[in-house]
Amino acid sequence: MARSLGVLVALPFPLPVGFNAEEAHNIVKECVDGVLGGEDYNHNNINQWTASIVEQSLTHLVKLGKAYKYIVTCAVVQKSAYGFHTASSCFWDTTSDGTCTVRWENRTMNCIVNVFAIAIVL
Amino acid sequence: MEEYHRHCDEVGFNAEEAHNIVKEFSPGKSHPRESLSQQRETLVQAGAFHWFGWRGKEKLKPKFNTFGRLPNEMLEQWLSPTNQCVDGVLGGEDYNHNNINQWTASIVEQSLTHLVKLGKAYKYIVTCAVVQKSAYGFHTASSCFWDTTSDGTCTVRWENRTMNCIVNVFAIAIVL
Repeated sequence: MARSLGVLVALPFPLPVGFNAEEAHNIVKECVDGVLGGEDYNHNNINQWTASIVEQSLTHLVKLGKAYKYIVTCAVVQKSAYGFHTASSCFWDTTSDGTCTVRWENRTMNCIVNVFAIAIVL
Repeated sequence: MEEYHRHCDEVGFNAEEAHNIVKEFSPGKSHPRESLSQQRETLVQAGAFHWFGWRGKEKLKPKFNTFGRLPNEMLEQWLSPTNQCVDGVLGGEDYNHNNINQWTASIVEQSLTHLVKLGKAYKYIVTCAVVQKSAYGFHTASSCFWDTTSDGTCTVRWENRTMNCIVNVFAIAIVL
């Protein structure tokens, strides 16, 4: 007599179906606006600001509850006539991993935040 | 037969607590002097441990290695190919607005190629920032949410007379 055993497993998070860059973009933009909005470049505070931006962005991204590992990098440059260039290259699974970049500026500084999301495979 | 009884009501990986724990206790950060038992108590209350074992004989097992980091040998093997790439591309050059695009692209691509050639089961993210030397401020920061026992990062800072270059390598282990 054959019996089949059915098992229903509920995962606490949805399986990744590709990284939602737009959602991440909005989250990060809000964080940057909150930290740098209305401020002028200040050498004394910049340390604190960049740390707040990356930490808050990371916390909000993790709160989305998706099965991703996140890397958030932030670069803030004082506005000047001098050149500044960034580039990045990734070796990953293009179907499940993704990235998003937020460029923000005001009168005295430019801010670039990169979010890299790597799917956690179970 | 005694039933196996779990004390903590975990329903999956508590990312926020874990994030705070790792942030708080990551190596290199100085914290006020606390006795070992106090530190353990903080960690237990923050939920950093699994309870397991039969009732009355419960033991603590760490949820993940809060004090772990990749060994220096592993970090070093990412440093030297990256350093060599930057030297090869930017060595002897002055900051040039026309070529900078090409240079940053070469740095990241060559670094990535060399890292992949190491043949380890890692996904890599390489970022590069080049700034012209000036009296103006430039600041970068990064924060990562990952498995501290298997994933890691290394940063290469390079400079010459006219520019500063910062290359970050992030490596995430591929779990098979």
